[in-house]
Amino acid sequence: MSVSPESFKKTSFISLARIGVIASHTFTQLVRMKVFYFLIAFVILLWGAKQVIFQNETGGDTSPEQELRLIKSTGFAAMNMFSMLLALSATALLIPKDIEDRTLYTILCKPVPRLDYLLGKLLGVLALIFVSLVAMDLVLCFFLDQKYSEIIDIQTLTYTRQGMPQDMIEAKLANINAHGVSINIHLASFAIFLKAIVIASIALLISTFSTSTLFTLILTLIIIVIGLIQSDAREYADTMAKFGVENQLSKISLMVAVFFPDLQFLSIEDGVIDGHAVPLSIMGRITILSLFYLAIYVILSWFTFRKKEF
Amino acid sequence: MNHSSNHALDAPFAIEIKDLVKTYRSSFKKETFKAVDKVSINIKAGEVYGLIGPNGSGKSTTMKALLGLISPTSGLCKVFGCDSTKVDARSEIGFLPENPYFYKHQTSSETLKFYGNLCGMRGKYLNNKVNELLELTSLTHARNRRLGGYSKGMLQRVGLAQALIQNPKLLILDEPTAGVDPIGSREIRDLIFRLKEEGVTIFLCSHLLEQVQEVCDRVGIIFEGQMVNEGTLDELTAIENQHEVILENADEGLLESISELVRQHSSSGAKIVSSQTPRSSLEKLFIDTANNRKNKKS
Repeated sequence: MSVSPESFKKTSFISLARIGVIASHTFTQLVRMKVFYFLIAFVILLWGAKQVIFQNETGGDTSPEQELRLIKSTGFAAMNMFSMLLALSATALLIPKDIEDRTLYTILCKPVPRLDYLLGKLLGVLALIFVSLVAMDLVLCFFLDQKYSEIIDIQTLTYTRQGMPQDMIEAKLANINAHGVSINIHLASFAIFLKAIVIASIALLISTFSTSTLFTLILTLIIIVIGLIQSDAREYADTMAKFGVENQLSKISLMVAVFFPDLQFLSIEDGVIDGHAVPLSIMGRITILSLFYLAIYVILSWFTFRKKEF
Repeated sequence: MNHSSNHALDAPFAIEIKDLVKTYRSSFKKETFKAVDKVSINIKAGEVYGLIGPNGSGKSTTMKALLGLISPTSGLCKVFGCDSTKVDARSEIGFLPENPYFYKHQTSSETLKFYGNLCGMRGKYLNNKVNELLELTSLTHARNRRLGGYSKGMLQRVGLAQALIQNPKLLILDEPTAGVDPIGSREIRDLIFRLKEEGVTIFLCSHLLEQVQEVCDRVGIIFEGQMVNEGTLDELTAIENQHEVILENADEGLLESISELVRQHSSSGAKIVSSQTPRSSLEKLFIDTANNRKNKKS
């Protein structure tokens, strides 16, 4: 049997089909690790939040907005935590595990460019996070809608018994409406997904040069913490500057912003919890920023991984 | 198995390794370690080549360089004329690592489909190929079982099947019979012969010297990163001034006559070095016993 150099099948630099194969395999791998069990914990958590009834200061009457706010804040906090944990652990574990188990050998010994492998792994993790967040978003909307319906019924009955005119009842209920299920809930969930994209791509970059899973986890966690507190540090520095106190914090925080993502900037859930609408311009901005971070970290990952020796 | 070969210009060698040097540098110290030192190997298409050497002699490093898993410090590695560091070279290579680990959550059928998909295979063609390879490696009965429950020998056979999934023209086998029982080991050996007949080039590393001797056309001996001996088995193992004659049904009288005849020619230096009843190998005995038991059961 003879083969000529010209006869080799040209392997494309990047192939969506190959990336899809690795991504769907990674997705299946994580699903079979039974990661979706956390959804049970999420349902119990929200069910618990739904049972809470606040009493206002004068006693007697309930504080309906607070109750809806509690469900939303519990839901978003859990979504943030689960998606962050998944993005961090799944990405940080998968590549070092492939290297340790030598399954990577068998993959890279097939005509698979290393960029395809990296993108496939990352997209598999992101697909899992996306599906998880969609499920959590639906669960959150379900409990929020249930609570909202209960509150509306109770409040309408209470106001009617108090002899309140219909137009005044509607005005009062309008405040509660802002806390019900709306597109803003889904936009906040999507923003959490964007945050997970950034965290997963950071973990991917670190796992390409890290020598152990533990190192990857710790370093990624440090970067997440820096990403979450850097805007507060900047704000503090600005406030100090206004009072005429000179410090280096402002310069340092600006430098940090160049190298580390500002995860606080991607957080829009607080506004949604308070019942505010999310302007589309902000959604566009955080989407572009997240994709920018993703592109940067993937390019850096590929740069370190393409010549890595096994 | 089908291996297409409609090529205008043929590469002279399936594997061409020229003055391969691989040096490793320790992370913090400036010490360097030469894992492979100016190794050159040329393997013709269709040849079965065995690379033998003690642990840490540079066998795996040479293999990794061929697979593009490491870059040579100097020298070159080519597979059918294509630089081994290029991804294209891998389309013609099937690799079985020593003690292969696969994703435990997959079944053998899913594993083969996954590797087939990576090679761009799809649909009915891939399904047929998977069935063919499961049959070939005697894994059809376990095709829907997750690999987590497979024995070491079964995993080795899955490894061999995945190495063959895209009909590679070059097969690189690292200790192909490690952890496999003698029957499985013989099956793998038979498969190597079969692939050789089909024209597949095989590059094999093994500690089982008997096995290498049995299947390889040429052998290279590597020691401390350097190729110390290389040639055909006849060249390497023949004792030129000795001759072996094996007789069947020879009685004592005939044996005595032969001894007498040799004694008469003792002036030319001829002598009988040893005369004994040949013994069956333990491996042959084991396989015969196992086959007899199997036949009795059926």
